[in-house]
Amino acid sequence: MRRRCGLVLVLASFAVAPPVFAQSRFEIGGGVTWTGGFDAGGLDALETRPGAGSTPLTLFATDSRVTAAAGVRAHAAWFLTPRLAIEGAGEYSRPALETTISNDFERATGSVAEIDVASYVFGGSVLLHFGARRLVPFVFVGAGYLRQLDGDGTGAVTGAEFHGGGGVKYALSSRVGLRVDGGISSRDTSMAFEVKRRTLPVIGASVAYRF
Amino acid sequence: MKRIRALAVVAALVLSAPAVSAYLKLGTHVGANLVPLHWGAFPIRYFVTNRDIAGVTAPQLQQAVAGAIATWSGVRDVSISSQFVGFTGASPISGDGMTVIGFQNRPDLDLVLGSTSYTVDSVTGEVIESDIFLNSIFPWSVASGGEEGRQDVQSIALHELGHLLGLGHSALGETDLFGGGRRVLGAESVMFPIAFPAGNLNRALHADDVAGLSDVYGSDAFRASTGSITGRVTKNGSGVLGAHIVAFNPESGTLVGGFSLTPDGAFTIGGLEPGLHVVRAEPLDDGDPGSFIDSPQPIDLDFRPAIYSRLVSVPKGGTANGVEVKVTPK
Repeated sequence: MRRRCGLVLVLASFAVAPPVFAQSRFEIGGGVTWTGGFDAGGLDALETRPGAGSTPLTLFATDSRVTAAAGVRAHAAWFLTPRLAIEGAGEYSRPALETTISNDFERATGSVAEIDVASYVFGGSVLLHFGARRLVPFVFVGAGYLRQLDGDGTGAVTGAEFHGGGGVKYALSSRVGLRVDGGISSRDTSMAFEVKRRTLPVIGASVAYRF
Repeated sequence: MKRIRALAVVAALVLSAPAVSAYLKLGTHVGANLVPLHWGAFPIRYFVTNRDIAGVTAPQLQQAVAGAIATWSGVRDVSISSQFVGFTGASPISGDGMTVIGFQNRPDLDLVLGSTSYTVDSVTGEVIESDIFLNSIFPWSVASGGEEGRQDVQSIALHELGHLLGLGHSALGETDLFGGGRRVLGAESVMFPIAFPAGNLNRALHADDVAGLSDVYGSDAFRASTGSITGRVTKNGSGVLGAHIVAFNPESGTLVGGFSLTPDGAFTIGGLEPGLHVVRAEPLDDGDPGSFIDSPQPIDLDFRPAIYSRLVSVPKGGTANGVEVKVTPK
């Protein structure tokens, strides 16, 4: 009975005095991300058959994919106005590039060859917030610099990245809040066997501090 | 300095394979060392025999040979050149001081389409003279699209000229047993030791051929722009001698092969494009192992082909080390 009363009191206090973010100029934060995987392209291992126009002999076929990966992210934002902010962010994740081997002409053992990829994105965004309540929706759009290194540290790709999306910030106090966002990240290159623009889903959750 | 000339004959055979950075190269002993067989002076001055055979005149033979030489000379970042001196009545036999290419009637070699022989300076390992004969017991053709039932002169000359330049045999091919011999199902190197059936052309170099030639004659620019893979093939913890290892680049689709040339299973594959590669090891069971590697120790054929579990990143101008392909007995 006593416990039920306590619960009612806490809920009531939230309802009566919900915290909102202070009208601060700066926000810093850090958290985790998840970036979707994608088809990495690639060709099959073929040998020339005798005879003009003959279909090549397949020594083995390949199917390559970059796996989805969790990562970490840090950001720092500067509020130009209470609603409009510019933000710089850095993100690190470690997906794997996996090549699945099939249809081996001589039934070779082993079917997957893989390598880790260290992926870095450094970028900037413009954020537009809606309202000054405890739960603040926002949208963002921006661009960044992508750098990916293979696990042996010898191969690297760099390129441009563009992103956009939306999310919410939930105030735990006037200075501390939670941020959840989701969007897309469009990259003009990747550590893959086919160079082309790829658009990936990205979601993130972080803790933010304003001052 | 006293120079001793040693005559070595290659009749679709590999003399020996240098253990370092070698997969396709022929080797020759210089003292206690094994060095790649190579030409030290260019242009290579060659003659063509002035004998006609059924279906191929001497000028047609010369044109086909010139076409094959141009194919090898066209490899980027490689400095080789040759000069056609003229027609000759001399036979393509080593020891006469002339590099001669031509037909010879060799009924005793009824399974050999062509053969290359060398005279080598045993002090430097440089080739002094090399001769190629095409066996006239077979029907031949120089038709641009090939001719049913006849071997294409330019295709076979391309293979033999690879030997002349110092390349051994590649194992990048698949065969099956057919009519008491072996039939090629597919090949990705003109240096594969078994020719396409008569009537088919094989006049274009593949990545494996380019890598092999470049390994012998490549410029600094070539070495700076390519990389290599070194490692071992092991079975139950011990090295495998004579495994064929293939590096495949899924981005470009190129295949380049190499061999484990020592009892500890060590191999090197050079001339690779920078980037990620799939590495695969297989036994030398698509031909006579002796046609690839001349080893005093038995070549291990008792293992299943295997894919290395990691993608190997080949650095530009460098080497990816430490690859260990573990195979299992059949």
